[in-house]
Amino acid sequence: MIQSPLSGDILFSIGPLGIDKAVVTTWVLIGALGFGSWTVTRRLTLRPGKVQAVVELVVTTLDAQIRATIAGEPARFRPLIGTLLLYILTANWSSLIPGVEPPTARLETDAALALIVFVATIGYGIRAQGLGGYLASFARPSWVMIPLNLVEQVTRNFSLMVRLFGNVMSGVFVIGIVLTLAGLLVPIPLMALDLLTGAVQAYIFAILALVFIGSAVEGEGDKNPPRKQEKDA
Amino acid sequence: MSFDWVTFGFQLVNVLVLLAILQHFLFRPVAEIIAKRQAETQEALRRAEAAEQDAEAAERAAEEARHQTEAARHDVLTAAQDEAEAQRKAILDAARAEAASLVQKATAQAQATVTGAAAETLTRARDLAEVIARRALSAQPDGAGYAARLAQALAALPDDQRAAILSGANLRLAAPAPLSAADRAAALATLGLESAGFEQDQSLIAGLELRSDTGLVHNSLAHDLDRIARALTAEAAA
Repeated sequence: MIQSPLSGDILFSIGPLGIDKAVVTTWVLIGALGFGSWTVTRRLTLRPGKVQAVVELVVTTLDAQIRATIAGEPARFRPLIGTLLLYILTANWSSLIPGVEPPTARLETDAALALIVFVATIGYGIRAQGLGGYLASFARPSWVMIPLNLVEQVTRNFSLMVRLFGNVMSGVFVIGIVLTLAGLLVPIPLMALDLLTGAVQAYIFAILALVFIGSAVEGEGDKNPPRKQEKDA
Repeated sequence: MSFDWVTFGFQLVNVLVLLAILQHFLFRPVAEIIAKRQAETQEALRRAEAAEQDAEAAERAAEEARHQTEAARHDVLTAAQDEAEAQRKAILDAARAEAASLVQKATAQAQATVTGAAAETLTRARDLAEVIARRALSAQPDGAGYAARLAQALAALPDDQRAAILSGANLRLAAPAPLSAADRAAALATLGLESAGFEQDQSLIAGLELRSDTGLVHNSLAHDLDRIARALTAEAAA
């Protein structure tokens, strides 16, 4: 009998706080990503090696994706979107390690990610348009739309959370069932499919976050002359 | 299903910490190195453009220098041609002047030579005349002596010639001046002739000649002078 993916797995406690397995996995991922980043970027050169070229390609592609969605300098959005992409991707793929459950299969993790996107959307919107401008964007195209726009702010982030949770959790759940019923090697095709699903979900989450932020800062384009945007691009 | 707010909080913080770590150790350094490379590329492009502009400027300067060199070469050639023309003209003028001087000198020398030759000719002619006169005069006898010298010349002739002259018609004596009867008789006696005519011939200058229609015997200063002159001329020609 496998454990329900909807229930937590407290490994240890720090005082009254129970540390879930997903948190520990995230710490490991943070350590791995941080150490890997430090290892790769500690000796950056103008004539890049293979690893540095791959990393630069990732960053450049990320910048291009941001630039294609939001006009202007991509550096403002690169840390958030890049972190979301890398974290969700590594978290989803961590299921390939035996005994490791992806943190994104936990609703708390996806909720935390969705909350970050929600807050970032509001923050970027206010920063780009000002508080009044941002609030006024809810009245577009008509004041009648204010309630719907307000609800949309919540529901779209909620859907963001549920989509990621549902896809990853279902994958883990299916693999667990098949593993229980069929045997050791049978779930391998499903795990390979999980690789694709995990990458797609990471991309979708990051792109949707980018689109949400882009819709929040879309008034910013009215302030900047197009030529300036093209130059930055 | 339950929602663990502690896990939610931890994951919230974890993601933010990861964001900070990746920003510090990954995105910022990589973006900086990319920006640095782009800056260096731009700088290299700028330097390349500057070098290209410098090269174009150098090419223009070289072209300008080439034009200047061409102009200087043209000037030098023109100056050299002018100088050569001037030198040629000067040399020609000098040559013409020298030639004129040589011609003048040659003319003067020729004139002097002609003058000297004329003087020498005159001197030689005078000397010749003097020799001729001396020789002629040295062989001339006194007034009565011409008859005796005519007799000797007549006697020296071969007999047939002498007989032809003496038997010739119109036998006569010729003298540059009229002879007196005594002189005429003395001459006939010296010649052994009984009679003979007489004629005056001033071309004889001096002397006495016997003439007939068949011959004559010269015995005059004019004949001596002529003979001596022909002898001297033949001697000079030899």
